Amino acid sequence: MNLTEPAVRVTGLTKKFGAFAAIDDVSFTVETNKIYGLLGRNGAGKTTLMQLLTGQQFATSGTLEVFGASPVENARVLQSLCFIKETQKYPDSFRPEHVLASAPWFFANWDADFAASLAQDFRLPLNRPIKKLSRGQLSAVGVIVGLASRAPLTFFDEPYLGLDAVARQIFYDRLLEDYAEHPRTIILSTHLIDEVSNLLEHVLVIDEGRILMDQDADELRGSASTVVGKKTDVDAFVAGRDIISRDGIGGLASVTVTGLSEAERAAARTAGLELSPVSLQQLIVQRTTSTTSETASTTDAWSARS
Amino acid sequence: MTALLTGTATSVHPRSAPARIWNVVRLHLVDRRTYIGIPWLIAGMAFVVTVFMAQIIGFTTGGLGTADAIAGQRYSWAVLAPQGYLIAVGVQAISFGFPLALGFGVTRRDFYLGTALLFVLISAANALAFAVLTQLEQLTDGWFIDTYMFNAIWLGIDGFWVDLFSFFVMQLLVFFIGASIATIYMRWRMPGMLIFWSALALAIVGTVTIITFTSNWPAVGLWYGAQGIAGIFAWLLVPAAAAGFGGFLALRRATPKN
Repeated sequence: MNLTEPAVRVTGLTKKFGAFAAIDDVSFTVETNKIYGLLGRNGAGKTTLMQLLTGQQFATSGTLEVFGASPVENARVLQSLCFIKETQKYPDSFRPEHVLASAPWFFANWDADFAASLAQDFRLPLNRPIKKLSRGQLSAVGVIVGLASRAPLTFFDEPYLGLDAVARQIFYDRLLEDYAEHPRTIILSTHLIDEVSNLLEHVLVIDEGRILMDQDADELRGSASTVVGKKTDVDAFVAGRDIISRDGIGGLASVTVTGLSEAERAAARTAGLELSPVSLQQLIVQRTTSTTSETASTTDAWSARS
Repeated sequence: MTALLTGTATSVHPRSAPARIWNVVRLHLVDRRTYIGIPWLIAGMAFVVTVFMAQIIGFTTGGLGTADAIAGQRYSWAVLAPQGYLIAVGVQAISFGFPLALGFGVTRRDFYLGTALLFVLISAANALAFAVLTQLEQLTDGWFIDTYMFNAIWLGIDGFWVDLFSFFVMQLLVFFIGASIATIYMRWRMPGMLIFWSALALAIVGTVTIITFTSNWPAVGLWYGAQGIAGIFAWLLVPAAAAGFGGFLALRRATPKN
């Protein structure tokens, strides 16, 4: 696989709205033909960042390259992108059929059969006015365009918003199938981390306009474990380690620590401790809030006892 | 997961600028109702109403087809009935078309040039249609029922070519006024709207004040009279072009709302 030139290269990117920095001195790269998760809380700057990457917003400072050039007003670059925003506006009288009819004029790799079968899978009423679609159906329009466009750099902006469980599974399956046949770079933004965590190969976590985490998803998953057991045993085991978070009830403790080697894992098991993997969501929540909840939990346990 | 990949990586063969601009025209026209269906539906309804109005006028003045009755129907604005809707279409071409085009990976430049080309094409088509209908109405003595909708206001006075030119300019102005107002909003949001409307109101009352204080109304009237229909509409090309070029400059730095 050709991984020589990154799809996106961002250096010192800042976007200010007045005095407020929506994106604050951000640097990262996105390798080609990988699935990236752009994760963060509401208002963290995900949409602004994607708008900058697609030339919809203008950067205040810093440099931004997509396929080797600035995307702003660059027809060559923009033709390779697809970004249907979560809040995408459509002309007043538009129906989904109008979107599917016009999309091939803008996406050179558009697959009309694929789009039609996706519309059926999502049960999208093609001739209902878009302004009368439910939130889930509106998300489906964006998801269908994103998938069927096969754009070399495709953005999915909160694709799960309003989708029911079946539709979410369809999106998940179709994305992976089609991605395997037509590899491309995908950036998926969401605040529902667990829903997408299995799709992601790389994770970018953004909070208050800054990149908090820029890591391979598998590495991230293996980067921490939770040690559970008697408080004294756990404390002895984790002493001197890098503790991410700590939880405890009464005599029991549950501590999440970074990077355990195989030997250390074995040592933990011999010491009668349980090791459990940390979900991407837990890990990100812990890293982004970075507070321990032991005090609160202990207090709760105390009040329950008295 | 990378190991699962079997296909070849996607790439895109870039499209030429004329093709990209034409695709924007097609995007605006993918729903034919907006630019063609509804305006002609409105014109059709206006014609039906005009038929009734003509009958009422005929009944009260004692006969249609007289010189008075034909002249009286000139005051009807029915021929311009679709224009109110078409201003809104000009607004929506930007306010809804622009965000969608950006999502489809269109540059601001291509979007604006495509939109302007669409306005020119639709204006030309409408001008041709209305100028021809004006002639047909004369030839058929008001569609054989002495009903005059198209020979109204300034149309049908100076002949086919003046009708064609004047309607074209008027239609272009309608589209570009709607589009440029939406563009000002897209570029500068509410502050832009406030400044624009205040400046426009001040410019109008300022002009009226100056003409009144310098007692120049008769001169202004004479000047208008001297221009003739074709001259007036030639002058209207100036605001149409200003709105068109100004809109282009403003949109180049505009950002869609979230």
